[in-house]
Amino acid sequence: MRHTAKTLLAIVAVGSVVALAACSGSSSETTPDGKPHGEVVVWDYYGSATPLKPAIADFEKQYPDVTVKYEALDYETMQDKFSVAVSSGAGPDLATLDMTWLPTYAANGTLQDLSQISGGNLNGKPISDQYSQGALDAMTYDDHYIAAMYDFDAYALYYRKDILDQEGIAVPKTWDDLLTASQRMAEDTNGDGKPDKYAFQLLPDTFHYAQLLFQNGGSILDESGDQAAFNSTAGVSALDYMKQLLDSGGSIYWGESQGDSTGLPGIKDERIGMFINGPYMMGVLKDGAKDQSGDWAVAPAPYSQQPGSYLGGTGLVIPTGAKNPTAAWALAQFLLQPKQQALVYTAAGAAPATTAALEQPALRKPDPYFGGQRPFPIFLKAMSTATHFPYVATWPDIDTAITDAVNSVLLGKASAQDALDQAAQTADGKLGG
Amino acid sequence: MTWRRAGLYAALVVTSVAMLVPFFWTLSTSLKRPEDVFAPGQWLIPKPLSLQGYRDVFTLLPFPRYFMNSVIVTVAIVALNVVFDTAAAYAFAKLRFPGRSVIFGLLLLTLMIPMQVNLIPLYRLMVWFHGFLPWFGIDTLAGIVAPSAVQVFGIFLMRQYFAAIPDSIIEAARLDGAGELTLLRRVVLPISLPGVATLTIFTALSAWNDFLWPLLVSSSDASRTLPVGLALLSRKNTVNWADTMAGAVVTAIPMILAFVLLQRRFIEGLAAGAVKDT
Amino acid sequence: MADATASEVRLPPQPRAARSGRLPRGRPDRLRRKEAAVGFLLVLPVLITTTLFFFGPMVFSLYWSFTNYNGLTAPQWVGLQNYADLLGDPLFLTACRNTLVFALVTMSIGPALGLGSALLLNRPLRGRALFRGAYFVPVTTSLIVVATIWKMLLNDQGLVNQILSVFSIPGHDWLTDPSTALFAVCAASIWQGFGFETVIFLAALQTVPRDLLEAAEVDGAGVLRRFWHISLPALRPTILFVSVVGVIGAFQVFDQVFVMTQGGPLESTTTVVYYLVNRFRALDLGHASATAYLLVVVLAVASAAQMRLGRSKP
Repeated sequence: MRHTAKTLLAIVAVGSVVALAACSGSSSETTPDGKPHGEVVVWDYYGSATPLKPAIADFEKQYPDVTVKYEALDYETMQDKFSVAVSSGAGPDLATLDMTWLPTYAANGTLQDLSQISGGNLNGKPISDQYSQGALDAMTYDDHYIAAMYDFDAYALYYRKDILDQEGIAVPKTWDDLLTASQRMAEDTNGDGKPDKYAFQLLPDTFHYAQLLFQNGGSILDESGDQAAFNSTAGVSALDYMKQLLDSGGSIYWGESQGDSTGLPGIKDERIGMFINGPYMMGVLKDGAKDQSGDWAVAPAPYSQQPGSYLGGTGLVIPTGAKNPTAAWALAQFLLQPKQQALVYTAAGAAPATTAALEQPALRKPDPYFGGQRPFPIFLKAMSTATHFPYVATWPDIDTAITDAVNSVLLGKASAQDALDQAAQTADGKLGG
Repeated sequence: MTWRRAGLYAALVVTSVAMLVPFFWTLSTSLKRPEDVFAPGQWLIPKPLSLQGYRDVFTLLPFPRYFMNSVIVTVAIVALNVVFDTAAAYAFAKLRFPGRSVIFGLLLLTLMIPMQVNLIPLYRLMVWFHGFLPWFGIDTLAGIVAPSAVQVFGIFLMRQYFAAIPDSIIEAARLDGAGELTLLRRVVLPISLPGVATLTIFTALSAWNDFLWPLLVSSSDASRTLPVGLALLSRKNTVNWADTMAGAVVTAIPMILAFVLLQRRFIEGLAAGAVKDT
Repeated sequence: MADATASEVRLPPQPRAARSGRLPRGRPDRLRRKEAAVGFLLVLPVLITTTLFFFGPMVFSLYWSFTNYNGLTAPQWVGLQNYADLLGDPLFLTACRNTLVFALVTMSIGPALGLGSALLLNRPLRGRALFRGAYFVPVTTSLIVVATIWKMLLNDQGLVNQILSVFSIPGHDWLTDPSTALFAVCAASIWQGFGFETVIFLAALQTVPRDLLEAAEVDGAGVLRRFWHISLPALRPTILFVSVVGVIGAFQVFDQVFVMTQGGPLESTTTVVYYLVNRFRALDLGHASATAYLLVVVLAVASAAQMRLGRSKP
């Protein structure tokens, strides 16, 4: 027993040292002349379709003094690993993070100040000139940059052009259009009262509710950022509209239980004829639904008062405790050059984030999968009117509260006003505490 | 009697199929082309058959490396647990020493604490170890093995198993002058082989399938285990089901084989031999 | 090999009365001290490793449960505030309720199914190894894969509904309906887990004294009587093990929920550990740790009660 007590004491001592070391986060490889050198550890969550990995050899050629240690991670578990490692002082120098994870990390001081590291410049030009305003807002926390956006996510309408044409339905531009179009397009082949062919995919999450909220002129939090505002008239009528879409018989409720959030199973068996989602779905369709090539087209998402969307994507970040931020930023800049940015599209099937990259001819070519349409400019336009989620530490809780409100209304358990009021109360509690 | 027997077999066949359906589905999905995974009308029978999933598993990843890492980790964990868990379990079940039940109760606490809250302190410990022991701590196989080297689950399992052995057998051997270790090795273990087999199977399974801890600890191919490596086949936002299921099949097969071999050797061997002998 | 060593052991006939579990009193002190020393020695490696890899980290997480801590900045002492917050959080209370339902449902069905199939598979049957293999396959598959498959089986167009429609039973979106989602998760867990219990009971059944069974059969005792009076008492330590470990595992359910439902719909499947992981992901290590220790207290009481019950005579 005495032995145990001794060991226990030793552990406590050891642990405190480790904890202290982790907190100090000293930079061991400061670069006196500012020239990047040494090792850069990169964590990448793109998986087998990574646009980062192919760029690294070129980077090392250009920066012979820098060695890149590339570590592949998977998207699903990246957050856990990142949190544990960074809090233990063993995080990477550069990492890809989903922009929707940033609120938690930013508010807890997990990310380094990129304004300071970069001096405000990206590849020799001001950062502020190289992104859309929405993107810049999303990259900013507490008046400084915390991430450099690498790919972006903003929503547009995907629709089965062949079916729309066949039925003589015009491409929906407003909420009312979408309601009638989905009603006319959807079929109930087995007569159970629910559509099972060519329906509109209704995703009951905060992303899709937020889009309608923004289009209605509403916002998630008020100006001050410490009070919920989504239970405004704009918010209630947005949720009422979602419910209307479902009740009108033109939509299919696509919850977590469907097994695949992209909707691919429903796209394959043609239960889904229309959906609203981000540019990454272009890649999903091309890989997963080759047989429907030429059937799909993309249009700006229908709106009520003004175009709007949630804005997300992938950010390149330098976490607290990074040992080589200088070289990390050099690599980040390299990855954000137009040539490397194009890989986001060609390798990962997603949308690069810098304005220069989006101007490239490769991204403006007619796309045979979409019947010769040029889908990129549509997403670009969506990005220009998109808004990021608020940067508050408790965002995951607020997200859950909103998702619950949306689901309880869609499942017929509560009215939009009641559900949102309750969610707002939860959110206010989280914001206050 | 024959009717009852037929009914018994029917029940066994039906339940066995129910147990196997998901595995068949895994197998069939692994043999589909990625674009056919959700194609209507081929829920169980892929058409055309495609080995693309398996090709990806073997070519996109350093599969032999991951496989070997998993084998090393699993063998090490099983060996350590069989030795240490059994020894401790014997002490808890059959030896009297002060504080026995208190210590055992404390050990049980380690089962009750959700591992997620201990991840950060444990990870920091591993970072610290790695600072002066290059072969230990983060990004090493030893670092993956260490927290599982001894498992209270195994001690508990074996303790309950030993508890069922009549004390009179042990007392008889003691009277013959056998020391405790000899007793454990020559008397207790041989009649506990089914228990040891069970311990081996479950330790091997948990080591082989373990995901979260190896994921946190490993950061290069040198220490990545199979489940962690296979997770890299998925992409951001989408899952390649054919690849994932091919990975699941490849991971499950060694364990199914191990089970079939072990249950023959221990459970049936013993049932046929030892106990009847008396 | 097993046969050779085992047959060296002369198992004396076992009168049931001798299996009282207490060692005879009055052994010389020297022997007792030696026994204690050996006991310590055998337990020591376990103590060292668990101290290093479990109790050490637990000291930290226990401390954090009384602080406000995000993993980066220094923890701030808040006393019992985190615990009070939890007990006042309706979501946490929902999580407790769901976890309790999950534990009750899975623990009342799983072990019984496991024992039943072990008894079945312990009989001399043709193709027994094959059936045992089949029951074990779900256990070998990782929980995440199992949960994914079940999600596919249970959704609107899944196999379960297709089979039901053959019998003209209307399908149901099991995982979307808040009133059925938790039970769907239970079903998947039982399906995956009872093979585990089957194997443990199968191994334990081998320790049932066969001569007693045979003697009872000669005396004309029926299957049920033999089970009740001979097999069941011999299985008691194993039953205790399965129920203690099972309850602990059930209270820690996470993977199935994470993959199948993400805690939804409408928090109907949010469990305590799911709640904990969400706090952890929000870098709220104070509340995450407090959740863990509340769970530990509940489980410690439950396990102690089970152990006590297991020790007393039926």
